[in-house]
Amino acid sequence: MIKNKSKGEESGLAPIWNWKITAFAAALLLFVGILAISFGPVSLSFQEIIRTLLGLPGGLTGQDRTLLLDLRLPRALLAALVGAALATSGAVYQTVFRNPLADPYLLGAAAGAGLGATIALTSAGADLRSLLPVFAFFGAISAVMVSFFISGKFFAEPNSLLLSGIAVGSFATAVQTYLQQRNSSSLRPVYSWILGELTVANWQVVTWSSIYILIALIILFTVSKQLDGLMLTDEEAYSLGINPNKLRVIAVVAATLATATAVSASGLIGFVGIVVPHLVRGITHRVTNRGLLTIALVGASFLVLADLGARTLLSPAELPIGVITAFVGAPFFLFVLRKKRLVSQ
Amino acid sequence: MINISDLNVRIGQRNILSDINIEIEDGKWTCLVGPNGAGKTTLLKSLLGSLPYSGSITDNGVEVFKNHDRNVAFVPQQPQIPIGMSVGEYVMLGRSKRDGWGNETNQSRMMVSDVLKLTGLFGMQSQFVSLLSGGEMQRALIARALVQEPTLILLDEPTSALDLHHQIAVLNNIELLKERGVTIISTMHDITLAAMYAEKIVVMQEGKVLLNGTSDFVIHSPELKSAFENRINVYTLDSGRPVIVANKDLTN
Repeated sequence: MIKNKSKGEESGLAPIWNWKITAFAAALLLFVGILAISFGPVSLSFQEIIRTLLGLPGGLTGQDRTLLLDLRLPRALLAALVGAALATSGAVYQTVFRNPLADPYLLGAAAGAGLGATIALTSAGADLRSLLPVFAFFGAISAVMVSFFISGKFFAEPNSLLLSGIAVGSFATAVQTYLQQRNSSSLRPVYSWILGELTVANWQVVTWSSIYILIALIILFTVSKQLDGLMLTDEEAYSLGINPNKLRVIAVVAATLATATAVSASGLIGFVGIVVPHLVRGITHRVTNRGLLTIALVGASFLVLADLGARTLLSPAELPIGVITAFVGAPFFLFVLRKKRLVSQ
Repeated sequence: MINISDLNVRIGQRNILSDINIEIEDGKWTCLVGPNGAGKTTLLKSLLGSLPYSGSITDNGVEVFKNHDRNVAFVPQQPQIPIGMSVGEYVMLGRSKRDGWGNETNQSRMMVSDVLKLTGLFGMQSQFVSLLSGGEMQRALIARALVQEPTLILLDEPTSALDLHHQIAVLNNIELLKERGVTIISTMHDITLAAMYAEKIVVMQEGKVLLNGTSDFVIHSPELKSAFENRINVYTLDSGRPVIVANKDLTN
């Protein structure tokens, strides 16, 4: 059975990646982005938004302008950045650990960030609340580093790294629970942070998180083609011109940087890292990491759309975005899974 | 010419290979035989250059772990099956070293297509590799090695999981590589098949080389029996072909 045979294709082989899919994903992100900044408790005119963004005369003025430029735009950008970071890291972790169930929080990043955030929220004396992102960031990075050092063998035995990630995660969660018990007044803010929130979005947050996330994503896109080699045994990868250990370290460090930044900017938004890569791979029938850019774009669109839902469904109240991603993501994911049966193949 | 001298490989506290000294001729098929745990797979990995070793392994005069331009294909005994990858993509990975990762040329695509026909996999290129049978998977591995256009191919037990019919099919496919001037080094459990296909046989035991020479010489050496604790018998058919069978007599 020869599928997808394109015109003039004499080899009879389907292309490994079709870049039209990537272009479509980019268009989707643009569309979803404009949708997200147009809608809300106050609807803004589409034409005026475009004029404002392009700096043409006849754009929004006064409060509407502030609403667009200082509230909705940074929020949509942050959602896109976080979505791209989590989806890409998830896809990379799944390849590196050869495990379709791997997600970006696997090596303790989530629990570490949770502990860092809890420390910031429960600290007596000094008010560290404004430093929450810094605490969450270092919490996530330290947890992953501890997992690496405990496992000792680095990637010689990927499963030992996974297990030490689980152990470190449980330990950090235990400490976090203890701190919460001692400071019950902090329960609510910690809980809402754990569910993920983009309400903190402002240009400052967007600026620093975009720097780290873009650096990490550029590294991952650069090595994306080689990442396919990590799906083979190390000897096969080596014979095909890859240094598997070096590549794994580069990939995991970059993915962890992206995840830690995303978590510290927006809390723990679950499901994006696992649902989006499978969604893209399931629909395109392609497992290659050449699809990484597309996974990033779809992840960004997914979270922008989820945030639009979080803002508008119970307007003027807000739903935690993590609730939306899981509520919409889980059934849709199951639908794709049943249809494509990707995991078993 | 591959030259192995004073090769020692330690993993943890164990000496896996000790004081190996052999020469391997270009363009010939050399087969490593010996009981499980003799160090055959470790020797293959050392020849690839992916394993730390002491001593020296040179391929055309250059130490193997230093030479990153070397084009060596590796066929593992238990391949990692990439979930969701098609046969076409899998075989195309073999072009990655020559074309650069992700930059396969149209010429490469034609070559993959030809090799798929040669190995009887054409028509399955859109199928997932995870759905292939053992024999098809082995042919996909050989196909990937063929498109890699290597100077040396290392095969770890290429026939161990196959029935006799598929064993012959895969061994004939490997011979295609030899016709193209590729040096072949494989491990094999079946000494009869090894003697039939390989020109040289290296018998290993407990990390050491016990015997090394032409297939004919090795098969008829009394030391071969001692490597397998006298539990094998060598017979010669009327055609002159040797046949090695297990010796059921437990008193030996």
